[in-house]
Amino acid sequence: MNPGLFKLAVVGSRSSWGRLAGIAGGVAVGVCLLLLLWGGANGLSARDERGAWLRETGSPSVSGPAAADDPATSGPGTPVPLTAGTVLMEANPAEVFRDRLIDRRDVAALGTTTVKIPGIGKPPPPGSYYASPALQRLIETTPRDQLGERFGTFAGTIGDAALPGPDSLVVVTGATETELRQHGRATLVSDFTANPYGGSAAAYNTVLCIGAIAVFFPVLLLISIVTGLGAAQRRERYATLRLIGAAPQLVARIAAVETAVPSLAGAVLGVVLAMMLRPAAAQIAVNGTRMFAADLTTGPAAAAAVVAVVVAASALVAGHRTVRAGIGPLGVTRAVHEKTPTAWRIVPLLAGLSAMIAAVLMIRVLEVRLTWLESPLLIGGFLLVLAGLVVIGPWLTRLVSRMGLRRARSAAGVIAASRIQKTPGATFRSVSGLVIAVFVVSVFAGGASVIEATDVPAARAGLLQPTALHATVGAGHTPAQAAETARRAAGLPGIRSATVGYGPAALAERDAGPEIYLRAADAPGLGFEDIPAAETVAVDASFLHYWRTQPLALTPAPATSLDGLVPVVIFVGTDGTPEAMDRARTALNGSGITAIPATSPGDFKLQSSTRLIRGLAVLAYLGMFVAIAIAGLSLAVATASAVLDRKRVLGLMRLMGMPVSVLRRIIVREAAVPLLTVLLLSVGLGFLVAWLMVTFIDDSYRVAWPAPDYFIALGLSLLLALGAVAATFGLIRGTTAVTSTRFE
Amino acid sequence: MNNSLTLLGLLSREPSYGYDLKHSYDRYFGAGKALAFGQVYATLARMVRDELIRALGEETGGGPDRKKYEITVAGQDRVREWLFTPDVPSESLQSELFAKTVIALLLDDDADRLLDVQRGEHMARLRELTRLKQDADLLRVLMCDHGLFHIEADLRWIDLTSARLTQLKKELQSA
Amino acid sequence: MSTPDTTAPILSARGLHHSFGQTEALRGIDLDLQAGEVLAVMGPSGSGKSTLLHCLAGVLVPDGGSVSYRPAGRSPEKISALGEPERARLRLADFGFVFQFGQLLPELTAADNVSIPLLLAGTKRPEALRRSTELLERLGLAGLGAKLPGELSGGQAQRVAVARALVTSPAVLFADEPTGSLDSLAAENVLTMMLELVREAGTTVVMITHDARTAAYADREVMVRDGAIGAGYRVPA
Repeated sequence: MNPGLFKLAVVGSRSSWGRLAGIAGGVAVGVCLLLLLWGGANGLSARDERGAWLRETGSPSVSGPAAADDPATSGPGTPVPLTAGTVLMEANPAEVFRDRLIDRRDVAALGTTTVKIPGIGKPPPPGSYYASPALQRLIETTPRDQLGERFGTFAGTIGDAALPGPDSLVVVTGATETELRQHGRATLVSDFTANPYGGSAAAYNTVLCIGAIAVFFPVLLLISIVTGLGAAQRRERYATLRLIGAAPQLVARIAAVETAVPSLAGAVLGVVLAMMLRPAAAQIAVNGTRMFAADLTTGPAAAAAVVAVVVAASALVAGHRTVRAGIGPLGVTRAVHEKTPTAWRIVPLLAGLSAMIAAVLMIRVLEVRLTWLESPLLIGGFLLVLAGLVVIGPWLTRLVSRMGLRRARSAAGVIAASRIQKTPGATFRSVSGLVIAVFVVSVFAGGASVIEATDVPAARAGLLQPTALHATVGAGHTPAQAAETARRAAGLPGIRSATVGYGPAALAERDAGPEIYLRAADAPGLGFEDIPAAETVAVDASFLHYWRTQPLALTPAPATSLDGLVPVVIFVGTDGTPEAMDRARTALNGSGITAIPATSPGDFKLQSSTRLIRGLAVLAYLGMFVAIAIAGLSLAVATASAVLDRKRVLGLMRLMGMPVSVLRRIIVREAAVPLLTVLLLSVGLGFLVAWLMVTFIDDSYRVAWPAPDYFIALGLSLLLALGAVAATFGLIRGTTAVTSTRFE
Repeated sequence: MNNSLTLLGLLSREPSYGYDLKHSYDRYFGAGKALAFGQVYATLARMVRDELIRALGEETGGGPDRKKYEITVAGQDRVREWLFTPDVPSESLQSELFAKTVIALLLDDDADRLLDVQRGEHMARLRELTRLKQDADLLRVLMCDHGLFHIEADLRWIDLTSARLTQLKKELQSA
Repeated sequence: MSTPDTTAPILSARGLHHSFGQTEALRGIDLDLQAGEVLAVMGPSGSGKSTLLHCLAGVLVPDGGSVSYRPAGRSPEKISALGEPERARLRLADFGFVFQFGQLLPELTAADNVSIPLLLAGTKRPEALRRSTELLERLGLAGLGAKLPGELSGGQAQRVAVARALVTSPAVLFADEPTGSLDSLAAENVLTMMLELVREAGTTVVMITHDARTAAYADREVMVRDGAIGAGYRVPA
């Protein structure tokens, strides 16, 4: 292209600094957000890679006929011997401190072992431990009987390369081979996997993708709206160019360059912003820990790609819009003509919903798992719903404004309704950012409400008490040992009771009975109220299932039945304080007789995939805030643009005596009608989509009434909308003043 | 075009010989055709009879071209009257108005007022014709429109000349 | 003996001065407007005609001088001394405006456009539409009430503008080059219909025009040159 024309495009834009600054600003925010989110995804992947070794399951430490197939022939299998190339490793799934999960690995190795444990090197000798820096700090600042005693003596810290994040709590303790074999859960490990596949990254990234789209959408909208600023004046300029002989393609190219230049400036600014904000972004904790700042980088190639794509996209959009406006030498035709929105606009929304519903149906009802199809269906569906919301807006708006026009009574009403009816696309576009933001807010609120719904129910008689811990007793321990452990635990501060439950054999064994027997005197300590009048009582072993919702009843058992039984489980009731719970955990796990480590009903919260949703809550609220702010900005810009484009007519109306208040009322209505029309749909859809996504993850969850935060966020959005429109009032008064109608 | 009054106007400036008078006339107004000597002398003789001008000196034996003429007070009044009396707008008006404007400029008189006075007359005639058009049959309307457009043309010339008066004056003085 | 002046001018301006930055637009204008007369304001571009009209109509407050409005049956007001809200109310209730172009809201139908001043004045919508349609019929636009301005010809659109200006039965109609963008026949139609209505109602008219044949429709004309009123007009002593 002729460099002269290029100069014309840039110089000619000098007078519209505001618009150029707007484009640059909008693009900067968008690029910055995109890079940060991309970096976030990278960080999550990196985190999974760092912690991949924690997912090593190893190979069985016992060989022999499989126990499940043939009860007659099964027996204890032959243990596979340890070699220099293998270690015995056991993972404790319920190592809990306060409300945080600790990744614990107990390792037993031969003295000659060559196996290297990531972050440590040689496995720790029995009785000592290596801990992550964050965990070690915790150990040092907490009373030993609540935490430190569980592990042994400090041998060193785990290197960063093996930690998912700076706040990760990881501990590797040394143990003897016999201890681990006794528990029966150890496996043989020769080297640790570096394959993060199967980790939470995939699920996270799906949701992150959705989140990124939801947040990026308002930014795209802002750019689109800002590019439309001053359209009337630019049309005149382009018309002049056409008049002196420029071809339409040339004019389109000039328009593209005119937009590309500030876009480029904005994109570069966005890259710089992202670099500056990265350390701050690293402070955000996702799923229990923050990320290492280094993991959040995207690399120069990615940054360059983003810049190129964004600049190209904005230039294309500008060029396309210019061509579509069909500017001839005589300017644009007098009538502002938009294509009337038809009922076909419902299609994308319905398609998106169908896709998401199909994905959920597939998994939950048909129970068909096609992992390659699920994520695309869900993400694609979400995208379609989002786009569909924007697409259906003008159609709905037009319907409403048609009704409104018939019933309009005031001048402001007639004028606003007429304009909305004639240009529903343009009027809806100005509020589309807020509609999307409200939709996104609703989705996140719906998802977050799941956490509340799956809270541990309050203490009920006949179920495991939330303040109690229980640990199963391993095979081969005597009642005396169990009683000793219970007595010692009961002596600790904060412990209310310690009870031993008995059965024919340890619960993990083949001969385990269906019931647990206990002394009737101990029953109240477990929270039972209806105690039969017998010395010994029994309760079904499913009492230990923390997910039970139906309480169990005690049944009387013959008095002598406690003899000949072995201890199978120890219950410790506490006063509920975190310190007492941790003391109980330490005491139980360190007793040496437990098989499955101490757990309380609340622990599952930390382990299951509610962590997924909760971990994202922080990101979600941040994203929401940004989306709402940007949407409010684009509303203000669009409103201002609408006023500027009608400067002459509105100015002349004021000249003939129309008060400024009427003008303000017109502007407010033109924003309020499209917003309120689609608001209800937006909120409803948001919760529906949240329910679909949550069900996709786990269908035992129920979406409940959202937290107050949601209503605050909603109220904030509406307030922001009002504020954005009100902010343009000063502009309205100024541009429609008498001086603007001088045209001589 | 009223030659006699124009010549009178030229004489109003300064006394001159008949010969010089004709040449002056031709210089300013002879674009179309030059004035014949005979016409000039006949007009001068008539004006002497009407006591608008008087002959100076008594050079006997010479023809009228040898006589110097001077304007009388009555003649000056007559010129002023001619300048500031508007004419009925008609197609041949232009050249008359042109003459009046030039004379006024030469005499250093108020050409602006002259043109304004004529414009007022033009507007009055326009109003008259417009009123005639109301409730008239189509033929009458067409006729009125014809007149309206011509008068409008005159008005345009008046506006243009009005705007160019200063420049015009400078040119005449250097001519 | 002094008799009360029963023919007090409905609008009078005394000593109007106004500047826009460094440019002096009005340099001391005196003007009287009799009730019911049609006045044409002529002059070259940039002579201050529009500024004069804006001052007379209470759109602008002149830097110097005053404008008085004496409506029949009401107390006189000094327009130039009022604040913008009062002047806006006055303009809405008592004055009507017609401009050369771009004054109709493109998204409203013709009837809706005409009804706006009535709606602003508090008339109910059905009544406002009825009066608007009636007026449109009188201007030869019967049946076009539902059309958008973009669907009308230049002359028709301008007549809608005239209808809107006259729908509140204003005391004074201000027209700034009302036929400036029209061809001869359309201009003639607009003018004749407009004047028919105003003469019937006794509306006073101030019409800016550079076109002599348009000015010929008025009762008299004033020339504005360089911010002052030129020859051809004298204020009665």
